[in-house]
Amino acid sequence: MSHLHIPDGVLPALLWAPGLGLALLLLVLGARVLRGASPQRLAYQSALGALVLAAMVVELPLGPLDYHLTLVGPVGVLLGAASIFQVVFVANAILALVGHGGLTVVGLNALVLGAGGVLARPVYLACVRRWGPPVAMTAATAVAQIVSGALWLAVMAVALHVQAVGPNRVKLVAGVAFPLYLAGIVIESAVAFGVARFITRVRPDLLPGGATPVETSR
Amino acid sequence: MINTLAQIDHLASAGRTPWHRASALSKLLLAAGLVLLAVFAPSLWLLAGLYAVAWGLALTARLPWRLTLVASGYPVAFTLLFVLARWDGTVETPLRLLLRPLTASLVAVWLVGTTPYPDLFAPLSRLLPRNVGDGLFLTYRALFELMGRTGGLWRALRLRGGASGPVRRRLTLAGEGLATMVLYGFERSERLYATMRLRGHSGRICGCHHFAEGSRADLLVAAAGLIVTAGAVLLWRMP
Repeated sequence: MSHLHIPDGVLPALLWAPGLGLALLLLVLGARVLRGASPQRLAYQSALGALVLAAMVVELPLGPLDYHLTLVGPVGVLLGAASIFQVVFVANAILALVGHGGLTVVGLNALVLGAGGVLARPVYLACVRRWGPPVAMTAATAVAQIVSGALWLAVMAVALHVQAVGPNRVKLVAGVAFPLYLAGIVIESAVAFGVARFITRVRPDLLPGGATPVETSR
Repeated sequence: MINTLAQIDHLASAGRTPWHRASALSKLLLAAGLVLLAVFAPSLWLLAGLYAVAWGLALTARLPWRLTLVASGYPVAFTLLFVLARWDGTVETPLRLLLRPLTASLVAVWLVGTTPYPDLFAPLSRLLPRNVGDGLFLTYRALFELMGRTGGLWRALRLRGGASGPVRRRLTLAGEGLATMVLYGFERSERLYATMRLRGHSGRICGCHHFAEGSRADLLVAAAGLIVTAGAVLLWRMP
Protein backbone atom coordinates (compact mmCIF):
# COMPACT_ATOMS: atom_id res chain seq x y z
CA MET A 1 0.00 0.00 0.00
CA SER A 2 2.95 2.31 0.68
CA HIS A 3 3.61 2.27 -3.06
CA LEU A 4 0.11 3.54 -3.77
CA HIS A 5 1.81 6.59 -5.21
CA ILE A 6 0.38 9.90 -4.13
CA PRO A 7 -0.53 11.98 -7.22
CA ASP A 8 -0.09 15.72 -7.79
CA GLY A 9 -2.54 18.19 -6.37
CA VAL A 10 -4.13 16.18 -3.55
CA LEU A 11 -1.65 17.15 -0.84
CA PRO A 12 -1.00 20.69 0.38
CA ALA A 13 2.33 22.29 -0.60
CA LEU A 14 3.05 22.43 3.13
CA LEU A 15 3.63 18.67 2.92
CA TRP A 16 5.12 17.99 -0.50
CA ALA A 17 7.52 20.94 -0.74
CA PRO A 18 9.53 20.07 2.42
CA GLY A 19 9.32 16.42 1.36
CA LEU A 20 10.93 17.26 -1.97
CA GLY A 21 13.61 19.34 -0.27
CA LEU A 22 14.42 16.62 2.26
CA ALA A 23 14.54 13.94 -0.42
CA LEU A 24 16.98 16.00 -2.51
CA LEU A 25 19.14 16.58 0.56
CA LEU A 26 19.19 12.84 1.30
CA LEU A 27 20.06 12.13 -2.33
CA VAL A 28 23.05 14.47 -2.12
CA LEU A 29 24.18 12.84 1.15
CA GLY A 30 23.69 9.38 -0.34
CA ALA A 31 25.68 10.38 -3.41
CA ARG A 32 28.58 11.42 -1.16
CA VAL A 33 28.48 8.04 0.58
CA LEU A 34 28.46 6.24 -2.77
CA ARG A 35 31.07 8.48 -4.40
CA GLY A 36 33.65 5.73 -5.00
CA ALA A 37 31.17 3.08 -6.14
CA SER A 38 32.10 1.26 -9.34
CA PRO A 39 30.00 1.44 -12.52
CA GLN A 40 29.21 -2.26 -11.98
CA ARG A 41 27.71 -1.44 -8.63
CA LEU A 42 25.64 1.32 -10.26
CA ALA A 43 24.50 -1.08 -12.98
CA TYR A 44 23.49 -3.67 -10.33
CA GLN A 45 21.66 -1.00 -8.34
CA SER A 46 19.83 0.12 -11.47
CA ALA A 47 18.90 -3.45 -12.41
CA LEU A 48 17.36 -3.91 -8.96
CA GLY A 49 15.63 -0.54 -9.38
CA ALA A 50 14.12 -1.84 -12.59
CA LEU A 51 13.09 -5.00 -10.71
CA VAL A 52 11.33 -2.85 -8.09
CA LEU A 53 9.43 -1.13 -10.91
CA ALA A 54 8.68 -4.44 -12.61
CA ALA A 55 7.41 -5.89 -9.32
CA MET A 56 5.18 -2.87 -8.84
CA VAL A 57 3.62 -3.49 -12.23
CA VAL A 58 3.10 -7.26 -12.20
CA GLU A 59 -0.07 -8.48 -10.51
CA LEU A 60 0.25 -11.23 -7.92
CA PRO A 61 -3.08 -13.09 -8.00
CA LEU A 62 -4.48 -13.71 -4.52
CA GLY A 63 -8.00 -15.00 -4.95
CA PRO A 64 -10.34 -12.09 -5.73
CA LEU A 65 -7.55 -9.51 -5.32
CA ASP A 66 -4.43 -8.73 -7.31
CA TYR A 67 -1.53 -7.43 -5.25
CA HIS A 68 1.32 -5.30 -6.57
CA LEU A 69 4.60 -5.89 -4.75
CA THR A 70 7.19 -3.24 -3.87
CA LEU A 71 10.22 -5.44 -3.03
CA VAL A 72 11.71 -2.50 -1.15
CA GLY A 73 12.58 -4.69 1.85
CA PRO A 74 14.62 -7.33 -0.02
CA VAL A 75 16.25 -4.73 -2.29
CA GLY A 76 17.05 -2.60 0.75
CA VAL A 77 18.80 -5.58 2.33
CA LEU A 78 20.75 -6.32 -0.86
CA LEU A 79 21.83 -2.74 -1.57
CA GLY A 80 22.04 -0.92 1.76
CA ALA A 81 20.62 2.39 2.94
CA ALA A 82 22.20 4.95 0.57
CA SER A 83 21.55 2.90 -2.55
CA ILE A 84 17.98 1.93 -1.75
CA PHE A 85 16.98 5.54 -1.30
CA GLN A 86 18.43 6.39 -4.71
CA VAL A 87 16.68 3.37 -6.23
CA VAL A 88 13.34 4.38 -4.74
CA PHE A 89 13.73 8.00 -5.88
CA VAL A 90 14.59 6.97 -9.44
CA ALA A 91 11.72 4.46 -9.52
CA ASN A 92 9.27 7.11 -8.32
CA ALA A 93 10.63 9.66 -10.81
CA ILE A 94 10.17 7.25 -13.73
CA LEU A 95 6.67 6.33 -12.56
CA ALA A 96 5.74 9.99 -12.14
CA LEU A 97 6.84 10.67 -15.71
CA VAL A 98 4.29 8.16 -16.98
CA GLY A 99 1.49 9.54 -14.84
CA HIS A 100 1.81 7.09 -11.92
CA GLY A 101 2.29 9.26 -8.88
CA GLY A 102 3.00 12.95 -9.07
CA LEU A 103 5.94 15.04 -10.22
CA THR A 104 5.67 17.45 -7.29
CA VAL A 105 5.34 14.59 -4.80
CA VAL A 106 8.28 12.51 -6.08
CA GLY A 107 10.22 13.48 -2.94
CA LEU A 108 7.45 12.59 -0.53
CA ASN A 109 6.73 9.28 -2.29
CA ALA A 110 10.46 8.47 -2.18
CA LEU A 111 10.65 9.35 1.51
CA VAL A 112 7.65 7.17 2.36
CA LEU A 113 9.00 4.11 0.53
CA GLY A 114 12.67 4.85 1.17
CA ALA A 115 12.30 5.17 4.95
CA GLY A 116 11.36 1.51 5.16
CA GLY A 117 14.00 0.43 2.70
CA VAL A 118 16.73 2.27 4.58
CA LEU A 119 15.95 0.28 7.74
CA ALA A 120 15.91 -3.08 5.99
CA ARG A 121 19.62 -3.84 6.06
CA PRO A 122 20.28 -2.89 9.71
CA VAL A 123 17.34 -5.08 10.78
CA TYR A 124 18.61 -7.92 8.58
CA LEU A 125 22.13 -7.69 10.03
CA ALA A 126 20.74 -7.67 13.56
CA CYS A 127 18.77 -10.87 12.93
CA VAL A 128 20.82 -12.91 10.46
CA ARG A 129 23.27 -14.58 12.87
CA ARG A 130 20.55 -15.80 15.16
CA TRP A 131 17.88 -16.85 12.66
CA GLY A 132 19.59 -17.20 9.28
CA PRO A 133 19.01 -15.23 6.03
CA PRO A 134 15.41 -16.20 5.12
CA VAL A 135 13.95 -15.27 8.52
CA ALA A 136 16.18 -12.20 8.81
CA MET A 137 15.03 -11.03 5.35
CA THR A 138 11.42 -11.64 6.38
CA ALA A 139 11.88 -9.58 9.55
CA ALA A 140 13.67 -6.80 7.66
CA THR A 141 10.90 -6.65 5.06
CA ALA A 142 8.20 -6.65 7.73
CA VAL A 143 9.88 -3.69 9.45
CA ALA A 144 10.31 -1.89 6.11
CA GLN A 145 6.63 -2.37 5.29
CA ILE A 146 5.49 -1.35 8.77
CA VAL A 147 7.52 1.86 8.61
CA SER A 148 6.64 2.77 5.01
CA GLY A 149 2.96 1.98 5.49
CA ALA A 150 2.82 3.89 8.77
CA LEU A 151 4.44 6.90 7.12
CA TRP A 152 1.95 6.69 4.26
CA LEU A 153 -0.93 6.61 6.73
CA ALA A 154 0.62 9.51 8.65
CA VAL A 155 0.96 11.60 5.46
CA MET A 156 -2.67 10.88 4.65
CA ALA A 157 -3.80 11.76 8.18
CA VAL A 158 -1.85 15.05 8.20
CA ALA A 159 -3.13 15.93 4.72
CA LEU A 160 -6.73 15.33 5.76
CA HIS A 161 -6.21 17.23 9.01
CA VAL A 162 -4.71 20.23 7.19
CA GLN A 163 -7.69 20.22 4.83
CA ALA A 164 -10.04 20.34 7.85
CA VAL A 165 -11.59 16.93 7.23
CA GLY A 166 -13.65 15.72 10.20
CA PRO A 167 -12.51 12.79 12.36
CA ASN A 168 -15.33 10.55 11.09
CA ARG A 169 -14.12 10.91 7.52
CA VAL A 170 -10.54 10.25 8.59
CA LYS A 171 -11.74 7.05 10.28
CA LEU A 172 -13.53 6.08 7.07
CA VAL A 173 -10.32 6.48 5.03
CA ALA A 174 -8.35 4.61 7.70
CA GLY A 175 -10.95 1.82 7.54
CA VAL A 176 -10.20 1.41 3.83
CA ALA A 177 -6.43 1.79 4.13
CA PHE A 178 -5.60 -0.14 7.31
CA PRO A 179 -6.57 -3.65 6.11
CA LEU A 180 -4.48 -3.06 2.97
CA TYR A 181 -1.60 -1.98 5.19
CA LEU A 182 -1.75 -5.22 7.21
CA ALA A 183 -2.11 -7.36 4.08
CA GLY A 184 0.91 -5.61 2.57
CA ILE A 185 3.10 -6.48 5.57
CA VAL A 186 2.17 -10.17 5.42
CA ILE A 187 2.44 -10.53 1.63
CA GLU A 188 5.73 -8.68 1.24
CA SER A 189 7.29 -10.58 4.16
CA ALA A 190 6.27 -13.97 2.74
CA VAL A 191 7.67 -13.07 -0.67
CA ALA A 192 10.90 -11.82 0.97
CA PHE A 193 11.24 -15.20 2.69
CA GLY A 194 11.21 -16.90 -0.72
CA VAL A 195 13.69 -14.38 -2.16
CA ALA A 196 16.18 -14.97 0.67
CA ARG A 197 15.71 -18.75 0.65
CA PHE A 198 16.58 -18.93 -3.04
CA ILE A 199 19.53 -16.53 -2.88
CA THR A 200 20.93 -18.34 0.17
CA ARG A 201 20.94 -21.58 -1.81
CA VAL A 202 22.28 -20.19 -5.08
CA ARG A 203 24.34 -17.02 -4.50
CA PRO A 204 24.78 -16.43 -0.74
CA ASP A 205 27.58 -13.98 -1.52
CA LEU A 206 24.95 -11.48 -2.73
CA LEU A 207 23.53 -11.21 0.77
CA PRO A 208 25.21 -8.95 3.33
CA GLY A 209 27.17 -11.09 5.74
CA GLY A 210 27.40 -13.78 3.01
CA ALA A 211 30.55 -15.74 2.11
CA THR A 212 32.14 -13.20 -0.22
CA PRO A 213 30.03 -10.07 -0.34
CA VAL A 214 29.80 -8.22 -3.63
CA GLU A 215 30.51 -4.61 -2.66
CA THR A 216 27.90 -4.72 0.04
CA SER A 217 29.67 -2.45 2.48
CA ARG A 218 27.85 0.77 1.54
CA MET B 1 1.17 -1.14 -17.50
CA ILE B 2 4.13 -2.54 -19.42
CA ASN B 3 2.23 -2.24 -22.70
CA THR B 4 1.17 1.29 -21.91
CA LEU B 5 4.71 2.30 -21.03
CA ALA B 6 6.17 0.53 -24.07
CA GLN B 7 3.65 2.20 -26.41
CA ILE B 8 4.36 5.65 -24.95
CA ASP B 9 8.09 5.03 -25.27
CA HIS B 10 7.64 3.97 -28.89
CA LEU B 11 5.50 7.02 -29.70
CA ALA B 12 8.15 9.31 -28.21
CA SER B 13 10.70 8.07 -30.73
CA ALA B 14 8.42 7.40 -33.71
CA GLY B 15 6.19 10.51 -33.56
CA ARG B 16 6.63 13.18 -36.24
CA THR B 17 4.53 16.07 -34.92
CA PRO B 18 5.95 19.54 -34.13
CA TRP B 19 5.76 18.63 -30.43
CA HIS B 20 8.17 15.77 -31.10
CA ARG B 21 10.53 18.14 -32.91
CA ALA B 22 10.55 20.74 -30.13
CA SER B 23 13.45 20.66 -27.69
CA ALA B 24 13.14 18.64 -24.49
CA LEU B 25 14.03 21.67 -22.39
CA SER B 26 11.18 23.84 -23.69
CA LYS B 27 8.69 21.00 -23.23
CA LEU B 28 9.97 20.35 -19.72
CA LEU B 29 9.48 24.01 -18.84
CA LEU B 30 5.95 24.05 -20.29
CA ALA B 31 5.09 20.81 -18.49
CA ALA B 32 6.48 22.10 -15.18
CA GLY B 33 4.43 25.30 -15.55
CA LEU B 34 1.25 23.37 -16.33
CA VAL B 35 1.73 20.97 -13.42
CA LEU B 36 2.38 23.79 -10.96
CA LEU B 37 -0.65 25.70 -12.24
CA ALA B 38 -2.80 22.58 -11.87
CA VAL B 39 -1.56 22.10 -8.31
CA PHE B 40 -2.08 25.69 -7.18
CA ALA B 41 -5.00 26.95 -9.31
CA PRO B 42 -7.90 27.94 -7.04
CA SER B 43 -10.49 28.28 -9.82
CA LEU B 44 -12.47 25.34 -11.14
CA TRP B 45 -12.77 27.09 -14.51
CA LEU B 46 -9.02 27.42 -14.72
CA LEU B 47 -8.55 23.77 -13.79
CA ALA B 48 -11.05 22.73 -16.46
CA GLY B 49 -9.22 24.95 -18.95
CA LEU B 50 -5.86 23.42 -18.06
CA TYR B 51 -7.30 19.92 -18.45
CA ALA B 52 -8.62 20.89 -21.89
CA VAL B 53 -5.21 22.32 -22.83
CA ALA B 54 -3.52 19.09 -21.67
CA TRP B 55 -5.89 17.04 -23.84
CA GLY B 56 -5.21 19.42 -26.70
CA LEU B 57 -1.49 18.86 -26.32
CA ALA B 58 -1.88 15.07 -26.18
CA LEU B 59 -4.22 14.83 -29.16
CA THR B 60 -2.23 17.22 -31.38
CA ALA B 61 0.84 15.11 -30.54
CA ARG B 62 -1.18 12.21 -32.05
CA LEU B 63 -1.06 10.17 -28.87
CA PRO B 64 -3.91 7.62 -29.14
CA TRP B 65 -6.76 8.84 -26.94
CA ARG B 66 -7.42 5.45 -25.31
CA LEU B 67 -3.79 4.97 -24.41
CA THR B 68 -3.63 8.53 -23.07
CA LEU B 69 -6.81 8.04 -21.05
CA VAL B 70 -5.50 4.81 -19.50
CA ALA B 71 -2.03 6.18 -18.78
CA SER B 72 -3.28 9.42 -17.27
CA GLY B 73 -6.15 7.82 -15.34
CA TYR B 74 -4.03 6.22 -12.62
CA PRO B 75 -4.52 9.02 -10.04
CA VAL B 76 -8.30 8.48 -10.04
CA ALA B 77 -8.14 5.48 -7.67
CA PHE B 78 -6.01 7.29 -5.13
CA THR B 79 -7.90 10.58 -5.43
CA LEU B 80 -11.18 8.79 -4.73
CA LEU B 81 -9.93 8.30 -1.17
CA PHE B 82 -9.71 12.09 -0.83
CA VAL B 83 -13.06 12.57 -2.57
CA LEU B 84 -14.56 10.15 -0.05
CA ALA B 85 -13.02 12.06 2.85
CA ARG B 86 -13.89 15.54 1.62
CA TRP B 87 -17.30 14.93 0.06
CA ASP B 88 -19.48 17.93 0.93
CA GLY B 89 -22.47 17.26 -1.29
CA THR B 90 -21.33 19.61 -4.05
CA VAL B 91 -19.99 18.76 -7.50
CA GLU B 92 -17.24 21.38 -7.30
CA THR B 93 -15.15 19.74 -4.55
CA PRO B 94 -14.77 16.29 -6.19
CA LEU B 95 -14.22 17.94 -9.60
CA ARG B 96 -11.49 20.15 -8.19
CA LEU B 97 -9.89 17.17 -6.44
CA LEU B 98 -9.96 15.05 -9.58
CA LEU B 99 -8.93 17.68 -12.12
CA ARG B 100 -5.65 18.59 -10.39
CA PRO B 101 -3.99 15.14 -10.52
CA LEU B 102 -5.60 14.21 -13.84
CA THR B 103 -4.24 17.35 -15.52
CA ALA B 104 -0.78 16.79 -14.03
CA SER B 105 -0.63 13.14 -15.11
CA LEU B 106 -1.94 13.98 -18.59
CA VAL B 107 0.76 16.61 -19.00
CA ALA B 108 3.37 14.06 -17.87
CA VAL B 109 2.09 11.55 -20.44
CA TRP B 110 2.26 14.23 -23.18
CA LEU B 111 5.83 15.07 -22.17
CA VAL B 112 7.00 11.44 -22.13
CA GLY B 113 5.02 10.61 -25.28
CA THR B 114 6.75 13.35 -27.28
CA THR B 115 10.29 13.17 -25.86
CA PRO B 116 12.66 10.20 -26.21
CA TYR B 117 14.04 9.20 -22.83
CA PRO B 118 17.70 10.20 -23.41
CA ASP B 119 16.54 13.75 -24.24
CA LEU B 120 14.18 13.79 -21.29
CA PHE B 121 16.63 12.46 -18.72
CA ALA B 122 19.64 14.49 -19.90
CA PRO B 123 18.50 17.82 -18.36
CA LEU B 124 17.14 16.06 -15.25
CA SER B 125 20.42 14.20 -14.72
CA ARG B 126 22.27 17.52 -14.71
CA LEU B 127 20.19 18.69 -11.75
CA LEU B 128 20.61 15.47 -9.76
CA PRO B 129 23.72 13.99 -8.10
CA ARG B 130 25.85 12.10 -10.60
CA ASN B 131 25.02 8.52 -9.67
CA VAL B 132 21.31 9.31 -9.38
CA GLY B 133 21.36 10.83 -12.87
CA ASP B 134 23.22 7.80 -14.21
CA GLY B 135 20.77 5.58 -12.34
CA LEU B 136 17.86 7.16 -14.25
CA PHE B 137 19.35 6.10 -17.60
CA LEU B 138 20.44 2.64 -16.48
CA THR B 139 17.18 1.85 -14.66
CA TYR B 140 15.08 2.87 -17.65
CA ARG B 141 17.29 0.82 -19.97
CA ALA B 142 16.90 -2.25 -17.77
CA LEU B 143 13.20 -1.69 -17.17
CA PHE B 144 11.64 -3.19 -20.29
CA GLU B 145 13.89 -6.25 -20.19
CA LEU B 146 13.15 -6.89 -16.50
CA MET B 147 9.43 -6.30 -17.00
CA GLY B 148 9.32 -8.72 -19.89
CA ARG B 149 11.21 -11.34 -17.91
CA THR B 150 9.08 -10.84 -14.82
CA GLY B 151 5.92 -11.19 -16.92
CA GLY B 152 7.28 -14.42 -18.40
CA LEU B 153 8.18 -15.67 -14.94
CA TRP B 154 4.62 -15.08 -13.73
CA ARG B 155 3.18 -16.96 -16.69
CA ALA B 156 5.55 -19.85 -16.07
CA LEU B 157 4.60 -19.90 -12.38
CA ARG B 158 0.91 -20.08 -13.23
CA LEU B 159 1.40 -22.80 -15.85
CA ARG B 160 3.41 -24.93 -13.43
CA GLY B 161 0.91 -24.62 -10.60
CA GLY B 162 2.63 -21.81 -8.75
CA ALA B 163 -0.62 -19.86 -8.60
CA SER B 164 -2.53 -22.61 -6.83
CA GLY B 165 -2.27 -24.11 -3.37
CA PRO B 166 -2.09 -22.33 -0.03
CA VAL B 167 -1.38 -18.59 -0.13
CA ARG B 168 1.81 -18.97 1.91
CA ARG B 169 3.24 -21.44 -0.60
CA ARG B 170 2.23 -19.23 -3.53
CA LEU B 171 3.91 -16.19 -2.01
CA THR B 172 7.11 -18.04 -1.17
CA LEU B 173 7.25 -19.46 -4.70
CA ALA B 174 6.72 -15.97 -6.10
CA GLY B 175 9.61 -14.79 -3.94
CA GLU B 176 11.85 -17.56 -5.22
CA GLY B 177 10.91 -16.63 -8.76
CA LEU B 178 11.76 -12.99 -8.10
CA ALA B 179 15.08 -14.06 -6.61
CA THR B 180 16.02 -15.42 -10.03
CA MET B 181 15.44 -11.88 -11.30
CA VAL B 182 17.87 -10.59 -8.67
CA LEU B 183 20.49 -13.02 -9.94
CA TYR B 184 19.70 -12.06 -13.51
CA GLY B 185 20.08 -8.39 -12.53
CA PHE B 186 23.49 -9.11 -11.04
CA GLU B 187 24.69 -11.00 -14.11
CA ARG B 188 23.30 -8.29 -16.34
CA SER B 189 25.22 -5.65 -14.39
CA GLU B 190 28.45 -7.59 -14.98
CA ARG B 191 27.78 -7.72 -18.71
CA LEU B 192 26.80 -4.07 -18.83
CA TYR B 193 29.93 -3.07 -16.93
CA ALA B 194 32.09 -5.00 -19.42
CA THR B 195 30.27 -3.28 -22.31
CA MET B 196 30.70 0.15 -20.73
CA ARG B 197 34.44 -0.45 -20.31
CA LEU B 198 34.76 -1.65 -23.90
CA ARG B 199 33.02 1.48 -25.15
CA GLY B 200 35.33 3.72 -23.13
CA HIS B 201 32.99 4.71 -20.29
CA SER B 202 34.41 7.92 -18.83
CA GLY B 203 32.68 7.72 -15.47
CA ARG B 204 29.48 9.54 -16.38
CA ILE B 205 26.48 8.82 -18.55
CA CYS B 206 25.68 12.18 -20.11
CA GLY B 207 22.77 11.36 -22.40
CA CYS B 208 22.45 13.41 -25.54
CA HIS B 209 23.61 17.00 -25.77
CA HIS B 210 20.83 18.36 -27.96
CA PHE B 211 18.09 18.49 -25.35
CA ALA B 212 18.40 22.30 -25.35
CA GLU B 213 18.87 22.84 -29.08
CA GLY B 214 16.05 25.06 -30.23
CA SER B 215 14.06 24.69 -33.45
CA ARG B 216 11.07 26.40 -35.03
CA ALA B 217 8.86 23.90 -33.24
CA ASP B 218 9.87 25.56 -29.98
CA LEU B 219 7.86 28.59 -31.06
CA LEU B 220 4.79 26.39 -30.79
CA VAL B 221 5.74 25.44 -27.24
CA ALA B 222 6.29 29.12 -26.44
CA ALA B 223 2.89 29.98 -27.95
CA ALA B 224 1.24 27.29 -25.85
CA GLY B 225 2.99 28.71 -22.79
CA LEU B 226 1.72 32.21 -23.59
CA ILE B 227 -1.85 31.00 -24.10
CA VAL B 228 -1.75 29.10 -20.81
CA THR B 229 -0.31 32.12 -18.97
CA ALA B 230 -2.96 34.44 -20.43
CA GLY B 231 -5.70 31.96 -19.53
CA ALA B 232 -4.36 31.61 -16.01
CA VAL B 233 -4.35 35.40 -15.50
CA LEU B 234 -7.91 35.69 -16.81
CA LEU B 235 -9.41 32.74 -14.96
CA TRP B 236 -7.43 32.78 -11.69
CA ARG B 237 -10.06 34.68 -9.71
CA MET B 238 -13.09 32.95 -11.19
CA PRO B 239 -14.97 30.46 -8.96
